[in-house]
Amino acid sequence: MRKLLLCTALIVVLAAFLYVSINPADFGYSTGDHLVFGHPRYVDMDDYFIHNGQNQTGANNIVTSIVFDYRGFDTLGEASVLFTAVLAVGMVLRALRRDAK
Amino acid sequence: MMSKIVRTQANFLYPLIMIFGFYIVAHGHLTPGGGFQGGAVIATGVALIAVAYSYKNVKTWIKKTRLTATEAIGLLTFIITALLGISRSFFYNWLANTGLLFGQPVPYGINPGYLNTAGTLPIMNFAVGIEVLGGLGVIIMYYLHYIKEVSKNAV
Amino acid sequence: MIFESLLQILLLAGLIISAYLAIRYKDLLACAVALGVFSFLLSLEFYILQAPDVAIAEAGIGAGLTTAIFILAIKGTSRWEVEE
Repeated sequence: MRKLLLCTALIVVLAAFLYVSINPADFGYSTGDHLVFGHPRYVDMDDYFIHNGQNQTGANNIVTSIVFDYRGFDTLGEASVLFTAVLAVGMVLRALRRDAK
Repeated sequence: MMSKIVRTQANFLYPLIMIFGFYIVAHGHLTPGGGFQGGAVIATGVALIAVAYSYKNVKTWIKKTRLTATEAIGLLTFIITALLGISRSFFYNWLANTGLLFGQPVPYGINPGYLNTAGTLPIMNFAVGIEVLGGLGVIIMYYLHYIKEVSKNAV
Repeated sequence: MIFESLLQILLLAGLIISAYLAIRYKDLLACAVALGVFSFLLSLEFYILQAPDVAIAEAGIGAGLTTAIFILAIKGTSRWEVEE
């Protein structure tokens, strides 16, 4: 019973994805032609970064200039998440060690 | 400790992995990659040595307190570098195009890539790189320490 | 174009096969190695889809570090999966 339910849910999700990828106009993605991989619908912000990124930050790699400069708070959060994870691992393993003794 | 084959392979691969990781960190503003990816690659080299050898040897080579200090210094360097541009805004690139350290202006368009560019980005790359190295390395060292404690209590 | 499509089909089939093997094996060490193969194929797929940053991160963390951490965890516990 559970397996049948799981298979049905998977098939429904797969059919939904296939339907969206075949008829994108029904969901407001695009009016007219298909969505093509590598050609997004709205490109204003991409064009701003591509045309001004080298002058403003001086980096050739625009991905790095976005990650560390334009969207620096994102990287700050990522680094503090890693720091907190290391703290949590140390606390858990230390408590387990005290229990084992 | 693993077999001699694994130890020989680890000895051969360890310097290559370390050099590749430091290359990714140092060229983060020119080629794909950056601090996080390079730090993960260096930590993979540390994990290779930690898996191949026994904990008694590894403990003398890699100190846990040093890795923790490395992690804290990396995060502090990152925050202080971002804070130094507070006169304009947080995360302002205060070194770019000034002619000082990492301040060479870069021509628009396709160019061969110059290491002395990009302002604060190489500093932040290095800070995040050593932070990720310290964090992932200290997790592996905690695992090794705990495994040794458990096996000693079981026997 | 046809070569790229063929390579993508091969990679996606390899992804599904390695994920199935990682669930199916009873030997947990073999499961860890199958997960490493999965991460490696996924990083190749990212590289073909023109995301080299994500490919390097996936190859370093997924194929390298996670496999090492799994092997360490198996060393500390038992190697064979137990039916409860």
